[in-house]
Amino acid sequence: MSEKVLLVDDEKEFLDIMSERMQERGMTVKTADSADQAMAMLEKESFDAIVMDFKMPGMDGIQALKNIKTKKPELQIILLTGYATVEKTVEAMKIGATDLLEKPADLEKLAAKIKQAKAEKMLVVEKQTEDKIKDILKRFGG
Amino acid sequence: MSPNNDPCPETDRLADMADVKFFGALAAAMTHDMKNVLAIINENAGLLGDLSVKAQKKATPIDPLKASTISEKIRKNVTRADTMMKRFNRFSHSMDHAEEFVDMEETVMLVASLSERIIRRHGGTLTVIPPPVPCRIHARRFVVLHLIFRALDILCCNHADPASDIQKQMTVRFGSELTRPEICFTRDPGFMIKRDVLFDSPKDRALLAHVKMKVKMMDAGAGFCLCTARPEHG
Repeated sequence: MSEKVLLVDDEKEFLDIMSERMQERGMTVKTADSADQAMAMLEKESFDAIVMDFKMPGMDGIQALKNIKTKKPELQIILLTGYATVEKTVEAMKIGATDLLEKPADLEKLAAKIKQAKAEKMLVVEKQTEDKIKDILKRFGG
Repeated sequence: MSPNNDPCPETDRLADMADVKFFGALAAAMTHDMKNVLAIINENAGLLGDLSVKAQKKATPIDPLKASTISEKIRKNVTRADTMMKRFNRFSHSMDHAEEFVDMEETVMLVASLSERIIRRHGGTLTVIPPPVPCRIHARRFVVLHLIFRALDILCCNHADPASDIQKQMTVRFGSELTRPEICFTRDPGFMIKRDVLFDSPKDRALLAHVKMKVKMMDAGAGFCLCTARPEHG
């Protein structure tokens, strides 16, 4: 099954061309031009990975990352940015970013990271399900 | 000695006086924008590559309209990058000369374009209304650039409700008196500027003193103006 990706960037032209190329590689891609729009989309739809710019108007990448991870800890977030300082990269990784790539990025590299992110997400979801079952069994004295 | 071999200690003193953060903020915003443009060029080149691989595999020709659209997008973004580099280069050379005639509208436009990303990040949009009469002062360009940047920064950041996500409509106007150049900064109706945040730091005051400018509050705190009593000489 193909990877379902949410691509978030405030550059409309970048969103268009990147999603076209990603779709050519068999991915299902939705786009958002702000972190706020991405948050709204995440309420309604599920994705295997989010590829998101670090610096955007409105909610910035770090804040968006925190919000997403709080609401959907299983979601894998790959940050794609023009420049990232070491401090910001460390902070992003601590909050739970899966990876960080610098623009302009190699699409094959990004595609490989998205595949990997999907596999990681499956593992997290499996673990969450396992924990839920254990919890139910525990509550019912199983 | 300064990088442009200017033996004048004034240059070094000014460089110290002007907050280095100013240069850093504009450079960071500009290089981020530049990376975005490069990323778009990169993806368009990549798309052209994808199409040629597909054409080779399926032995079908590349759609000429598609190829021409991609090439046009690459050309457009190269022009965009070139404009950005020219603006940044102009900004970088603003320390080269001692006092010179500085066109205020041109300077506001330069700061506005360089700090567009910063303004957008604060949820703002900026409108510059052209001056009714030429608005020029004789000053060091870098200091004027810095003051305008500070003015926009004050407009962006100074608001009663920091959590508000309402779009900030900012406007720059110029005075109508040829002999008393004046730039006025206002924000959306209902916005009240606080007097105590207006150019209150020692660096701000030093910048104002250097270009012999004063800050004048507008009625009911609707905005503020940078005014000078200096006659226009040019």
